[in-house]
Amino acid sequence: MTQTTPTRAVPRRRGLWRRLRHDYAATPAAALVTLVCGTILVAIAWTLIDWAILRATFDPAAGREACRAAGGACWPVIAARWRVILFGLYPYDEQWRAALACLVVAAVILLSCLPRMWGLGRLAAIWATGTALFYLLMRGGLFGLTPVNEQQWGGLPLTLFVFVATAVIGMPMAIVLALMRRSSLPGIAIPAGLLIDAIRSLPLLSILFTCAIVLPLVLPDFLIGEKLYRVVFGAALFFAAYQAEIIRGGFQAIPRGQEEAAKALGLGWRQRLVRILLPQAFRLALPATINQFVIAFMETALIVVVGFMDLLASANTAFRTGEWTFAHVEVYAFIAAIYFAFVFGLSRYGAFLEARMDAGQQRS
Amino acid sequence: MDGYARTFLTAAGVALAATAAQAGNGDTLKAVQARGKLNCPGDIGSYLGFAEVDDKGNWKGLDIELCRAMATAIFGDPASVNIVPIDWAQRWPALQSGDIDIVIKASGGTLSRDTELGLQFSMSYYLGTTKVLAHKELGLSSLKDAEGGSVCLPAATTIETQVASYLEANGITMEIVALATNEEVSNAYFSGRCDTFAQWGPVVAIAASQAEDPDAHVLLPDVLALEPEVMIMRQGDDNWVDIANWTLSALLFAEQEGITSQNVDEIRANPPSAEVGKFLGATPGVGKGLGLSDDWAYNVIRKVGNYSEIFERSLGMDSPYRMPREMTALWKDGGVLFPLVFD
Repeated sequence: MTQTTPTRAVPRRRGLWRRLRHDYAATPAAALVTLVCGTILVAIAWTLIDWAILRATFDPAAGREACRAAGGACWPVIAARWRVILFGLYPYDEQWRAALACLVVAAVILLSCLPRMWGLGRLAAIWATGTALFYLLMRGGLFGLTPVNEQQWGGLPLTLFVFVATAVIGMPMAIVLALMRRSSLPGIAIPAGLLIDAIRSLPLLSILFTCAIVLPLVLPDFLIGEKLYRVVFGAALFFAAYQAEIIRGGFQAIPRGQEEAAKALGLGWRQRLVRILLPQAFRLALPATINQFVIAFMETALIVVVGFMDLLASANTAFRTGEWTFAHVEVYAFIAAIYFAFVFGLSRYGAFLEARMDAGQQRS
Repeated sequence: MDGYARTFLTAAGVALAATAAQAGNGDTLKAVQARGKLNCPGDIGSYLGFAEVDDKGNWKGLDIELCRAMATAIFGDPASVNIVPIDWAQRWPALQSGDIDIVIKASGGTLSRDTELGLQFSMSYYLGTTKVLAHKELGLSSLKDAEGGSVCLPAATTIETQVASYLEANGITMEIVALATNEEVSNAYFSGRCDTFAQWGPVVAIAASQAEDPDAHVLLPDVLALEPEVMIMRQGDDNWVDIANWTLSALLFAEQEGITSQNVDEIRANPPSAEVGKFLGATPGVGKGLGLSDDWAYNVIRKVGNYSEIFERSLGMDSPYRMPREMTALWKDGGVLFPLVFD
């Protein structure tokens, strides 16, 4: 992002038409390409609008026959099944709790994205409160809330929980692993390197299976815990292995002089790390880190194979019933919009961070 | 589910079968009673007519109802079930690790499941056939007429091998179009990419009933393969198998004797025969040997219904699928299902 760089291009005073002609139809070949691409885009947009809006059925009471007659998208499937899509198998009468829990997660994420909240104490407070509230709402059992087993969690709250927990547990692990791997002591660097490489050579699926199914056979009873938490731990480990390498890449890109200068100034190890190295490593690794977050969010859909109804699985459940089998495109479009909102938000936030950090960089 | 996961889980299943202690006689019932709930498999997504989720997030379907019937036999309450959403490949590891007490998941009894995985089966509660759906305009009367045509089917499933060997055995050459998911397969067929569509019987029947014009498709008479669907349990707990078998028998016996959830109270008050009287717990004896109460069968019929009631609301005329019973009818209606004798 370079918006902050004051590029003062001399504004060329020309009419809109001339500018368009200059940009899109400078030569006959360019004009042809513009025409072809433009036609394709308009055709796609028109087909979509025609399907999703013009010929679509919006009456929530309409069924298959009415939708078929109209020929377009059949949105009543969302009206009838949105609670299955969003909350999966979470008990129907308690779903307001799942909805509130989603809002809590969203609020915590939004709050911790605000630069003024960036401080270890503040962040820790936000996350501790948020986690406690989320768990209390979802799990229940206190303050007269009916207990709801983790097996019954599903849909959006489950997807958010797995993503956030993976990132929150995985990120500190990644930093520790990256530091260990950079250590000058072979006794620390080699085990860390082995662990990272071992995890990276396994598919996420097999790690999830191992955590869900094999671990209970190996671990002593008091360590087994709920399957959901074992799976989240596995996902976090996987996230950490990749993120550690990303952070290490960030470290390597810092000029050696930075650390040497800090040493020369008499800064201790902790100060060098926290004040000099980590901020720069994170800034350099930011695009790859955002990428990793996006991948982690998408990969939450894999927990379906170890028996959790995440958003994608609950969407599958929603249209696979006698009345709605024909309407799977509408349901997929609905959850695609949800995924898009999250991932797009995430990448825009990444762009904002980059711009902010770049600005700091250029002042110096 | 991709091939990798399937292989991994089969391996895990075999390993579990080797390491997991076998269930002792009566252990499962004790564990279930101590827990207060029967753990059954649901599905990730759903399996139309057998395990699907209604608007309020409640499970329904034939497999689910059988689980409810068993829970009612044990606890007298169809709500005492805990439906665990698990995928196909997870069935065996989940059963062996004790996450679920029984697999009622449209699964057939096979030699390898019996011996290698260390499982045992109930009697068959449904006869799954592999059938072929064809566009009516092609005028096919059997698969032989489809020579040179194409068949859509789900990739890497038993359906694929069944179709291949059936075609080979009957000297038919067809182009096989194997696709990953059920939606893709049926979309490919209904969009006209394939002439025919091979799948497990209920799946094709349901697909046809949901088609834009159900009359434009015809179910070919060929039966490519038969798979008797059974309830599957861990090896070694005979009492648990007995409970599964007698629950199923109770559903079928009630249908045979014309006992429904509507008239069960009248019939219990005034049983037409000593056998029915004992069955409904009017006279003692039906529960003791199984470790259940004497009114277990009465509870099952009153609160869940007989086999016919369950079938009709899951797959039959009271469901959107309107499937006929065919082979899955009682023996006296030309089918192959029968109850054991309540003496």
